[in-house]
Amino acid sequence: MGLRNFIHRLTAPKPSKSIPLDENLKMVFVVNHELKMGKGKIAAQVAHAAVKATLSCGERDPALLDAWFKTGQKKICVKGESALHLDSLSLEAKNCGIMANKIHDAGHTQIPSGSFTVLVLGPCSDEEIESITGDLKLL
Amino acid sequence: MSALSEPPTMAFLCRADLQLSAGKLAVQCAHAAIGSLKQAKKTHSRMVQRWQETSSRKICLSVDDEEDLMYFFDLVKDASLPYSLVQDAGLTEVAPGTVTVLGVGPAPRHTMDHLFSELKAYD
Repeated sequence: MGLRNFIHRLTAPKPSKSIPLDENLKMVFVVNHELKMGKGKIAAQVAHAAVKATLSCGERDPALLDAWFKTGQKKICVKGESALHLDSLSLEAKNCGIMANKIHDAGHTQIPSGSFTVLVLGPCSDEEIESITGDLKLL
Repeated sequence: MSALSEPPTMAFLCRADLQLSAGKLAVQCAHAAIGSLKQAKKTHSRMVQRWQETSSRKICLSVDDEEDLMYFFDLVKDASLPYSLVQDAGLTEVAPGTVTVLGVGPAPRHTMDHLFSELKAYD
């Protein structure tokens, strides 16, 4: 291996695994149902989650984010039972290599400060996420 | 309080007449948030930075129907604020192409308060 080639290998961006565009990519929001938030409150929390997940995916796996955007940025909302439930789902997701981000509320309105409101998973493929959130009811 | 110490705000104007379920509404607002943020990054990057450094404040407001939403859409365009108008693909709940939510901002809180003073929080 020549020196140039060697240096190129060190500095070139890592090849990201290519993601076929027909893959069913999803972002899943698990909302903490225990908190009994109003619809508007839930919507704002989910929006927080979407922004956070998008930014962190942009840093960690831009190709995946791009593929998700190009396939219509699918999002779904499901019900989680409690903060503990959300925690355990988050752990499961991380074990499967799925990105997980937690949203805690500042608590200006409706609920106590620091409440764990939404867990956001993905973007990732349908099959990957099915085993984790497949049993949960749509919100 | 001075304008500078107020956190920039992103607002979601949601159509009350559609009576969307909580999950559906949340997803529409998430679309709006990402769309508006994408535009704002190009045109209002300093505001985005300040918004992210503060609490990324977001509020959900209620508009009566499409006509009402479009009235505010014109105001927002006239004020040169970043926005994202969400049209649903119509796979569930509503007909394809239905305008559901208008995302606005991030913009200074006092600008938002001024523009949307007549609107109530969506609950």
